[in-house]
Amino acid sequence: MTNSHQNAAGANAAALKISDLRFTYRGADGGFTLQVGSLVLAPGEQMLLSATSGGGKSTLLQLIAGLMEPDSGSIEVMGRNVHGLRGAARDRYRGAHVGMIFQTFNLLQGFTAAENVMAALMFSEVPPGEHRGRAESLLTGLGITKHNSLVEQLSVGQQQRVAVARAVACSPAIVLADEPTASLDPENAAIAIGLIQKACRDKGAALLCVSHDPAIAARFERVQKLADLAGVQSGAKPMEGAAR
Amino acid sequence: MNDWTIVTRSLRARLFSTVTTIASVGVAVALMLVLIMMRSAGKDAFERGSGNVHLLVSRDASPLVSVLNGLFYAGAPAKPIMYTEYEKLRSELPVDWAIPVQLGDSYEGTWPVLATTPEFYTKFEPAEKTPWKCVQGRWFEKNFEVVVGAQAERATGLKLGDQIYMTHGTAGSRGAGSVHVHKEYKYTVVGILAPTGTNHDRVLFTNLASAWIIHAHDRIEREEHAGQPEHEETPEEHAHEKLVTEEDLIPEDRKITNIFMRVLTRPGADVGALIPVVMEQMRRDPQFVAAPLTVAGPSAEIRRLMSIVGNVDQILFAMAVVVMVSSGVGIMLALYNSMEQRRRQIAVLRVLGASPGRIFGLILTESALIGIFGSIAGVAAGLVGAQVAASIMRERLGLFIDPTLPGVGLAGVALGTLVLACVAGIVPGVMAYRTSVAKSLRPMA
Repeated sequence: MTNSHQNAAGANAAALKISDLRFTYRGADGGFTLQVGSLVLAPGEQMLLSATSGGGKSTLLQLIAGLMEPDSGSIEVMGRNVHGLRGAARDRYRGAHVGMIFQTFNLLQGFTAAENVMAALMFSEVPPGEHRGRAESLLTGLGITKHNSLVEQLSVGQQQRVAVARAVACSPAIVLADEPTASLDPENAAIAIGLIQKACRDKGAALLCVSHDPAIAARFERVQKLADLAGVQSGAKPMEGAAR
Repeated sequence: MNDWTIVTRSLRARLFSTVTTIASVGVAVALMLVLIMMRSAGKDAFERGSGNVHLLVSRDASPLVSVLNGLFYAGAPAKPIMYTEYEKLRSELPVDWAIPVQLGDSYEGTWPVLATTPEFYTKFEPAEKTPWKCVQGRWFEKNFEVVVGAQAERATGLKLGDQIYMTHGTAGSRGAGSVHVHKEYKYTVVGILAPTGTNHDRVLFTNLASAWIIHAHDRIEREEHAGQPEHEETPEEHAHEKLVTEEDLIPEDRKITNIFMRVLTRPGADVGALIPVVMEQMRRDPQFVAAPLTVAGPSAEIRRLMSIVGNVDQILFAMAVVVMVSSGVGIMLALYNSMEQRRRQIAVLRVLGASPGRIFGLILTESALIGIFGSIAGVAAGLVGAQVAASIMRERLGLFIDPTLPGVGLAGVALGTLVLACVAGIVPGVMAYRTSVAKSLRPMA
């Protein structure tokens, strides 16, 4: 499929390249430091980053997506330093090159399945006339036929598929999946991971999945522990608890 | 799926809040428009009503009361002017015309009857450049002929050839006991007037002699009954009495209540330079020292009235502005309260590539939409309110106002509402702009 983002930032650039990343969270109730010495994902590569719950993994994904600022180090997506981009340009870059899947899906309530996928295309350079067609064919490919049902009326499994379709709608360079199976039983978790992996392969997107679920590790060729990348140093409270 | 879809979906998702906010904006807009309408239309109505009269002479308590009674039919003038006094004034003063008018009677207690001379319809114009016109029949020529104003005709359904009786006094006049119907004297409707857009439209017109005869009848009756024990007169008794004619009139019967005057002007010039001279002359006239005349310049009195009313309507206007601003605060609160629930949605849109500026724009658009719909609802309610206000003014004050909203006012209020709504959207918009994506996307507890 299309890989226009590769042209935009160098044909041989890695999908993701993190160097000497350091991020410190400080809150009233403690803090932690996230450090990643080096992490490289080749285009189309799929990797599982295993981490204990709240081990700073959500923070890492948000740093990659440019939603948080690191203290030091660099994160490049398709050869482009995400944090070198400012304001709306970074938002546009994220919209075009990074797809995200969440544990709770974070679908837009009150909108249909098709609209949720089209919402991802809204901020891209895809001509508006093509939005619906693209969204519907993606959904159909993922087994969703009720394109015009409100997402809250769909089953959990169907909602997951809509979330996957939305993440890959812009043919991103990389898809970031944050505990995508945490709310599913093992059987459905396996199906969901299979779907995500297939969708990424079909779109030529790399996949960085963070999870503490050992059951899905077998489905990835490359598995690493977040702590091994340079680790969370502190022994402080987990991120979720800290931020609250 | 575009920004518009997000905005409208979001407004629909909070339908109750959206509708109540729109309604509150609508009420404020309607209030504002009705006030503006009343202001301009009320002014118009007052300014139209005096027509081409320069001076209004009466024996009312003050010039303003005299204008309200004499030109706007607010009540019956208090004390009479003798016809002889009128004749003297007319011959001595440098006037173009001076028309005697008698007010005090009514038809069915509601519609004022004005007794006058033919000059009233040949010389006096009820509104500037709007002479009288009969749509049916003609003006009165003989005694007990009556011509009906457009509004009175519409409301009472009187038609040519109808025989009617007049009531002495009006429903609102003092001493309700003195109000009685003159069953002895039948009037015939001989003409229906075209609308003039003034208060004169609700009046019935007849000649002076007819009014004098009725009152002479009352006088003669009183004289005959004088000294006799009081007794209730049966209608039969009443009907058998001799009818009074013009020959029975004595000078005391020939009374009027007002004189409409226009001073001499140079050809082509409408400004009556002689007005102050004539006013002064009447005030100084030794004949009127004991029973002074009230001389009013209608346009000056109306200006004075408008300046009094103007203060009140500035207060009302200020109140409308406050209502308007509070409806703006309402918009802000509605959006502000929705922000808590929408943080996640905003964060998702940010993840999908929306810039904070675009999110700010979405919230501002929502706010503006509430303002626009509020304006539409307000204009609709304002049009209805204007009709209601106009009919109240007509019934309570007898003031005819045109219940149309001035275009400039309409545009101004609509634009003002839009600006206000946009300003109201700024605070929630900034909240949305600053929404922390990282915090808002955490899994729900």
